Amino acid sequence: MHEPQIIDAPLLEAIGITKSFTQDGMASQALKGVSLSVAQGEFVSIVGRSGSGKSTFVSVLSTLLMPDAGQVNYNGKDLVRATEAEINAIRHGDFAVIFQFHYLLPYLTALENTLLPFMRSLKPVTRAQKTRAMECLARVGLADKAHRLPGQLSGGEQQRVAIARALVKEARVLFADEPTGSLDSATGATVMELLGQINTEGLAVVMVTHNEEYARLAHRLVRMEDGLVV
Amino acid sequence: MNILTIALRNARKKWVRTLLLLLVFSLGVVSIVALSFVSRVVGDGLEKKLVSYGANILVSPKSEKLTVSYGGFALGDMLFDVSYLDEADTVKRIEGIELRKNVSVIAPKLVVMDHVQGAAVAIVGVRFEQEKLLKGFWMVEQGTFPGETPEQAAARQAMAAPMHDAPAHAPAPKDADPKDAKPTAAVHVPAGADALLAGSAAAEKLGLKLGSVVPLDRHKFVVTGILAPTGSEDDNVLLADMDALQRASGHPGKVNFVEVAALCSGCPIDDIVNQISAALPGVEIKTLRGIVEQRMVSVHFVKKLILSVSLVILLTGCSMVGISMLSAVNERKKEIGILRSLGFSRRAVFSIFCAEAAAVGLLAGFVGYLAGYFVSFRILAVLEIEGAGSLPFEPLHLAATALVLAILTSLASLFPAWKAAGIEPSEALVTL
Ligand SMILES: Nc1ncnc2c1ncn2[C@@H]1O[C@H](COP(=O)(O)OP(=O)(O)OP(=O)(O)O)[C@@H](O)[C@H]1O
Ligand SMILES: [Mg+2]
Repeated sequence: MHEPQIIDAPLLEAIGITKSFTQDGMASQALKGVSLSVAQGEFVSIVGRSGSGKSTFVSVLSTLLMPDAGQVNYNGKDLVRATEAEINAIRHGDFAVIFQFHYLLPYLTALENTLLPFMRSLKPVTRAQKTRAMECLARVGLADKAHRLPGQLSGGEQQRVAIARALVKEARVLFADEPTGSLDSATGATVMELLGQINTEGLAVVMVTHNEEYARLAHRLVRMEDGLVV
Repeated sequence: MNILTIALRNARKKWVRTLLLLLVFSLGVVSIVALSFVSRVVGDGLEKKLVSYGANILVSPKSEKLTVSYGGFALGDMLFDVSYLDEADTVKRIEGIELRKNVSVIAPKLVVMDHVQGAAVAIVGVRFEQEKLLKGFWMVEQGTFPGETPEQAAARQAMAAPMHDAPAHAPAPKDADPKDAKPTAAVHVPAGADALLAGSAAAEKLGLKLGSVVPLDRHKFVVTGILAPTGSEDDNVLLADMDALQRASGHPGKVNFVEVAALCSGCPIDDIVNQISAALPGVEIKTLRGIVEQRMVSVHFVKKLILSVSLVILLTGCSMVGISMLSAVNERKKEIGILRSLGFSRRAVFSIFCAEAAAVGLLAGFVGYLAGYFVSFRILAVLEIEGAGSLPFEPLHLAATALVLAILTSLASLFPAWKAAGIEPSEALVTL
């Protein structure tokens, strides 16, 4: 779909990830030793049946969930064993996550939601950061709706705000768990187009999707089944 | 825009909840501030009133006293060797104690027995300026206080009863207004005689009227005023100026005893007594302890009551903040997940929750203090208590109140904030 800019050395590498959940006293293994490597600027999509462990895997990759065993190497560091401060720094600067349900703070405007990564401390958001956030919103086609609250935006627009928030950080890896899952096909297509564009600018994308058509737009397609990559 | 924006925007979005919390806390602060202001004014007034109830320390010469009573019939105290205190010296020594600031009135007394138309009566020599402080309830029914000019008497009466004011439209010519004539009618005291203030019962029993002459040895006293009934021992005696009675009775510079009023909330009465004893060796000092302690207890009880009411109100407010925050943590799990996924530290999440509570506290403290200040005026007005004018508005107290409230609400939100900080992004974001 676009010119690949892939560099061979893996940027992000998961090795032998296992994760099990206990629910109502029953232990079920969601991940049974999954390995995956993502190169810089690569677009990987993960497909598989419901319950095969895709979301669990992406959560582990993006540091949002601790695996039972295995390694997640990023930039020469094992994130499973990293300190909380290191994890926070990576979540803040290197990784960006978007979800099926857009997850914006309901009481902040689109612009403020986009600026959220810069509101971690008492340090006020700078003018430059604000300008950049506006640029990112313009990028996703929402320049005119920057001051609306999430409740005043459509699902597709909210998802685009989430993408703008990922963009503003200048992250290196974008994780997307069914980003088009709750959107109609036309809106989903625009979101996919955006993700493709962003990827061409050097951002690696790991995307979970049920849509085989979108999945095939990626450089690589990974299929999961019952907690394993097949 | 910074981390505080997140806290404040949420407070604004959930304005009903915020307003409710604000209301409860403001009410708490209003009642505490108003209670403390009013209790201060009432306390001051109470002190003045308590002093006006009379003396609480009695300084008298040591005397051998034998109470004689037989078969339930009291024959009275038999005194051997009546002794006197030197007035100037005694007063000076009492004024010289370390705790003199707590001594509000020193009232020396000289008691001389006299016979009027065959009836025995006591003439008590007092210093009227001190005595009037001690006995704020004294009212002259007829005539004037000894030593008072008619003008002073008129002024005093005008103060005591402002509704009897002379017509406002035109200043009445002096001495011409018949209204003024009666209450201020000055009794002429002939040269060589002295003024006498008669207690109501004594005047009635002895048939004394304004202008009546009461002889004491070769001296003459003229009744210039009659006290309204007081319900105290003063009703039964005749009161004269100290200097005049000392001269007339042949005891210049001498007094029988000295009454001391040392009453203020939290007055160290025991210390005052000890210091007076030290200053006046060989003199008997009695505290009207029961009365004193009773008064103190009532003052302290009111203060304690106010304090506990305040504490209950604050605790209620705090638990409200705690509960509402705790439920907010559960509601806001997803938000917390987003923030954590964006690299917000646990501490940052913790601060957002605390800041929200602190903002409510700060505002409640501010609004509550101001409202409480004005409510105090209303309360004092409704209760018809004077002294509202002495309520000082202190910006420093306002700031301190707001700060204390902010700290309090932050403390109340510690547990919810800690719970929020412990939420892992995975619990909040992973949808099944
Ligand atoms: N928090 C959890 N507690 C208990 N079990 C869980 C939890 N999260 C996931 N699981 C279980 O782990 C397995 C994998 O779930 P996961 O959400 O990764 O599947 P998925 O491939 O993303 O499915 P879907 O396509 O429906 O989103 C499932 O059997 C699920 O029930
Ligand atoms: Mg899933």
